Amino acid sequence: MKSASRIWRLAGTVSALSTLLLLGGFIYAVTDIMNPSAAKGSLEVPSALEEHETLAGAWDMTVIGDSLAKGTGDDTGKGFARRSVELLQEQGHESKLINNLGINGLDTEKLLSMLDDPGVRHALQQAGIIVLSIGGNDLFDGTERMASSEHMPTPEEIEEAVSVHSEHYRQIVAELKEINTQALLVYVGLYNPFSDLEGIKETGNDAVARWNRMAQETLNEYEGTLIVPTYDLFTLGPVRYLASDHFHPNADGYQAIAERMVQGLARE
Amino acid sequence: MRALNNILPLVKNETIKMIKKKRFYVILLVLIVLVPMFTYAQLRQAEDKREKFGTDWRREVQQAITDNQNSLGSDRVPEEWKKYRRIYIQQMKYYLEHDVNPREPGGVSFTREFLDNAATLFIPLLIMGIASDIVSSERTSGTIKMLLTRPIRRWKVLLSKLITLQMFVSLTIIATCVICYLISGLFFGYSGLNLPVFTGFQLQGAEVDISGVHAVPQWLYIVMQAGLIWFVSVVVACLAFMVSVLVRSTSASIVIMMAALIAGNILTNMAASWTSAKYLFMVNLGLTHYLAGTPAPIEGMTLGFSLIVLAVWGACSLLVSFLVFTKQDILN
Repeated sequence: MKSASRIWRLAGTVSALSTLLLLGGFIYAVTDIMNPSAAKGSLEVPSALEEHETLAGAWDMTVIGDSLAKGTGDDTGKGFARRSVELLQEQGHESKLINNLGINGLDTEKLLSMLDDPGVRHALQQAGIIVLSIGGNDLFDGTERMASSEHMPTPEEIEEAVSVHSEHYRQIVAELKEINTQALLVYVGLYNPFSDLEGIKETGNDAVARWNRMAQETLNEYEGTLIVPTYDLFTLGPVRYLASDHFHPNADGYQAIAERMVQGLARE
Repeated sequence: MRALNNILPLVKNETIKMIKKKRFYVILLVLIVLVPMFTYAQLRQAEDKREKFGTDWRREVQQAITDNQNSLGSDRVPEEWKKYRRIYIQQMKYYLEHDVNPREPGGVSFTREFLDNAATLFIPLLIMGIASDIVSSERTSGTIKMLLTRPIRRWKVLLSKLITLQMFVSLTIIATCVICYLISGLFFGYSGLNLPVFTGFQLQGAEVDISGVHAVPQWLYIVMQAGLIWFVSVVVACLAFMVSVLVRSTSASIVIMMAALIAGNILTNMAASWTSAKYLFMVNLGLTHYLAGTPAPIEGMTLGFSLIVLAVWGACSLLVSFLVFTKQDILN
């Protein structure tokens, strides 16, 4: 009977204390949730993310931009990002993919605001190579509209679109160069996915050519930049390299782009 | 005061019965067996991530943001999921902006995440394990007659059982936290009690209002979580108590409670369009979600609403328990 008494005393005390603690936690939680501003300042919120020292390996890669950067259309999900890292590794370089920040449907304007995010800046600062793919969604915005409507964009309209978005593009390049001064900036040039469709072929070719020239000229103003041309890959028989959506590259297309890129990157 | 003096020996008796019947030891055993499994799974996951992102949690969080942003553009993703993801993106950005790791590895963080996941099903199931047979077992074994032939009012007998049950509810929750911390600490280390955790994200539709966001030390966050889980558990215990009074067989009462709890988990995943489901108790078990700032399963649910729903269910079940127990005939 003595042990029973001890059990009772122990269980009784511990459970009473537990209940008090839990009740306290409950009341604290309810007041905190109901009135969060009042509890503010209970612990000092750390200050904003400071820019971290760059410890980037020369071959470490961060990819940023649109669906091409993400690798949409590649059934293996690798995209040119992982493929080019793999190729670099095969060549004996110590390379890894830091981050793939590609987002489907991203245009130059959204990318520009994304560059303010501390996490994005951090990922870019960790890289020795920054690969940028952008512009396709600005030019081919609403591809269905372009393909279906009787109204073909006039050369003037294309001129207009290129000049508006190329201003964003220049700002992006300047910003990227400012975020990470050391890294090599690689731009993946545009191609015309409609080069086998009569009617919009010429318009597309024209837009892409203007854009790529503008991109090249912008990059020429900076040290440590590279443009990877993809235009020629999709000109004759684009079906070979295009995915079933007839817009994004397929696995072979991404492999071809990655090989191009690595050829340009090869240095002693 | 006289009434209390009467009750205490009864509670003591019930407590000793509970310990002697080893019901509580079963709970502890379940925890000691299962928590290492969860910990191991978590450890494997952490190793996997370290392989991909090294020790740089910022890259990992940024990648999570980007992946979620990508799914926002897809038309196949249901609108409610997008809402969840938009909120998640905004919270993760807030962590990045303030340079705080949302998932700093450690025993304390593990406990915090475990409590979040265990709040709606695992812990209520444990509570059910001790609550379901507290009355019905007396009837199964026939000992109820001995209890009731003593010169004590029936409601006091029942009240003593209820008090004992609630004592063990508290013990179960504290034991869960302690066992979780001790075991996961073996793998992840015991540090992290003072790491900041953000709370106070107020949801307005798909937008997060960050004006009330503030940091609390992780230990305090866990105490808050445990307090909310305690309230849920008290209500679940009351309901299981009622079922135990109403149903003669222990196994039947376990099945009834278990079905209700699991139905709640299924409903929270798909009831978004059936709004009156929010008056069911099992949809309101996720009180810790309000603390973490994740959206409630059904539009229009708030902490105050859930607390009232739970309290009403708990009070009704107690009323039914006492009415039935004091009136019913004990036959066999």
